[in-house]
Amino acid sequence: MKKQCVAMLLAGGQGSRLYALTSREAKPSVPFGGKYRIIDFPLSNCANSGIDTVGVLTQYRPMKLNSYIGSGQPWDLDCADGGVYILPPYQSAGEKGSWFSGTANAIYQNLDFISLYDPEYVLILSGDHIYKMDYSQMIAEHEKAGAACTIAVIQVSLEDATRFGIMNVGEDGYINEFEEKPKHPKSTLASMGIYVFTWEKLRSYLIADEADPNSAKDFGKNIIPAMLCAGEKLWPYRFSGYWRDVGTITSLWDANMDMLSPDLINLYDADWPICARSPILPPQYVGPDAEIIHSIVTEGSVVNGHVENSVLSSGAEVEAGATVYYSILMPGAQVKSGARVEYAIIGENTVIEETAAVGAAPDGSEGGGGATCGPDLEFPAGAKVPAGAMVYTSEEVQK
Amino acid sequence: MTELSGIIYAYLSTPRLGELVSQRTSASLPFCGRYRLIDFPLSSMTNAGVRNVGVIMQRDYQSLLDHLGSGKDWDLSRRRGGLRLLPPFGLPNSHSGAYEGNLEALQVVRSYIEDNPGELFILSRGDLVANLDLRAVAEYHMDKGMDITAVCTDKPLLGEKNRFLVNTDGLISQILGDRGGGQGVAGLCVYLLSKELLLDMLDWSAATGKLHFRDGMRWYLENGRRVGAYIHKGYCAQVTTVQEFYQANMDMLDSGKRESLFPRERPIRTKERADVSTYYGEHAKVHNCMVADGCYIEGDLENCVLSRGVRIEKGAKLKNCVVMQDSVVAENAIFQYVISDKDVAVSPYTTLTGSPRLPLVIPKGSKL
Repeated sequence: MKKQCVAMLLAGGQGSRLYALTSREAKPSVPFGGKYRIIDFPLSNCANSGIDTVGVLTQYRPMKLNSYIGSGQPWDLDCADGGVYILPPYQSAGEKGSWFSGTANAIYQNLDFISLYDPEYVLILSGDHIYKMDYSQMIAEHEKAGAACTIAVIQVSLEDATRFGIMNVGEDGYINEFEEKPKHPKSTLASMGIYVFTWEKLRSYLIADEADPNSAKDFGKNIIPAMLCAGEKLWPYRFSGYWRDVGTITSLWDANMDMLSPDLINLYDADWPICARSPILPPQYVGPDAEIIHSIVTEGSVVNGHVENSVLSSGAEVEAGATVYYSILMPGAQVKSGARVEYAIIGENTVIEETAAVGAAPDGSEGGGGATCGPDLEFPAGAKVPAGAMVYTSEEVQK
Repeated sequence: MTELSGIIYAYLSTPRLGELVSQRTSASLPFCGRYRLIDFPLSSMTNAGVRNVGVIMQRDYQSLLDHLGSGKDWDLSRRRGGLRLLPPFGLPNSHSGAYEGNLEALQVVRSYIEDNPGELFILSRGDLVANLDLRAVAEYHMDKGMDITAVCTDKPLLGEKNRFLVNTDGLISQILGDRGGGQGVAGLCVYLLSKELLLDMLDWSAATGKLHFRDGMRWYLENGRRVGAYIHKGYCAQVTTVQEFYQANMDMLDSGKRESLFPRERPIRTKERADVSTYYGEHAKVHNCMVADGCYIEGDLENCVLSRGVRIEKGAKLKNCVVMQDSVVAENAIFQYVISDKDVAVSPYTTLTGSPRLPLVIPKGSKL
């Protein structure tokens, strides 16, 4: 059936800058903020914006992500007409199948999927941002501006502008220039990697780009510049709420800490719920001698120790005599008696045995502070993981 | 594998639960932070592979309907079978409006039983807090060639009324009811029997006017049927009074009891809500508490059970309390032995004190 808008969520990247955390799963399924996984944010935004048809493009280690999304029921996306679809790379008759070779190529390979719904607009999203956005407002502006493409932009500092794709806007309000990571930025409007395209335009530019052997097949590098060059109308959709890219260990840690300040991003908002698939666990239990200060804790957790400025995901355990400071415990992580975890990210189901010590407070030096431990590891009693360490396997800790 | 079907009695609002059941049935009473009582029999059934569950309801079932929905959260929204809600149907206008006994309730849903693919039926009350391994009960029932199996506990059960004397073969020799002075075992009002025997019992009930399952069981005993007791070793509590409700909640602060009720291999499912993780503020002091997601805590809590979405503001002190969904306790309020129902708003400096034997109940939606 014809749809006004189909969303395509790019979830195939490895997220290699998350190192051990994405060594076995794709970035969008990395746990976030106690209750969530990163992909909950764009999926919930879609559902809340009235977009009920979402294609999720997967490529890198998608097993956990696929089972997490399932039928889309937690986000109310298990609808009879539309819903959430996992779109992996596939093989065509007479051709060798190929991996997605860029963001634009990933959409190009799924043009047939979009055609099934013959939408007016296509919304392109990425799976590594934490934010709440009403895409229907963005689509309304796109319509009003009569644009071929609308790009969500956010004001950043001049200093940060060198790390982003920067949009320069003309007097008429339309985008007249796009610069990827400029050394001397002319504006501070950064692209958020969220695009609304008029479907006919998107299709023709994707087909043309695919034919160009020199193209990197990337939206930012190729499609947007090509549209600007051809004189298409590109409109900036100005967003001013909370938005964080969580593509690096530092930004992931920072954004998790932001969840301790509800005034930064209000997740209690009943009108804009962020939904998640929850494991089936009883409420959290806080023991007689536990201390929990300025922290968030999720169902299934058992806390008997000291937890301060930290984020505990579902089923995490902190035994009596253990301390957790400025850290993130992912689902099922355990910190045993007498162990100490500071400024660290502990992966899913990783066990920190008694009296082990992970991470240290930052001392201002390069790489000081945080330590990151991958999922399903076991750290023996008394083990020490120094500040700044990145741990992939239990063996690394044994020695 | 023998096809099991379940029937849950959810039509009772036990009067001794007072205000707690003024707008709901006992089966939909919130429990242990995130559950309703019916989640326990329902999850026990689905964990045993039961595909057809009928829920008998009769009045005040709005909250129950809201909770159960299509049965999706228990994996019971199915093309074949699944959850079937059984409101009253075909009752004469002269009917008093409340089922007098469970056999009467079962008579009303007789056609559901007749058309059901289940070979073995599990009948359960809806206000029982226990995580029963019903697959093991069914195997016991079949291995021992029982005609009826009653699930029982050999531990003391608060408010029990259903004692049985059991012989060395595990057969019930005598129904003591609420007499017996602690002899035998306590029945949990959970029974297994074949569809054929269940329908026979309904015929007998219609012919004799006997309305209680216990009477039918006595009739089967007198006719030489094998009526057995299966002893459930784990935690169990029935919730028929405010005191029992309060005690069962407080039991969940005991790790042994909690682990017995929530084993990993038999999860208790409930209706999902989109809640955030619970926030513990700079001033929060929380000791020995069960806390659901979506709470915001800045006050002091000791020996409390908090449901989803509760807000405890700075300086508020709660000790030995049960606080249900979305209640707000403002600054410097002091509560001891209080059960606060859903959506209660408490203004600053309110002090309320109940007693362990008689906890104070604040009705749903109150503004204090």
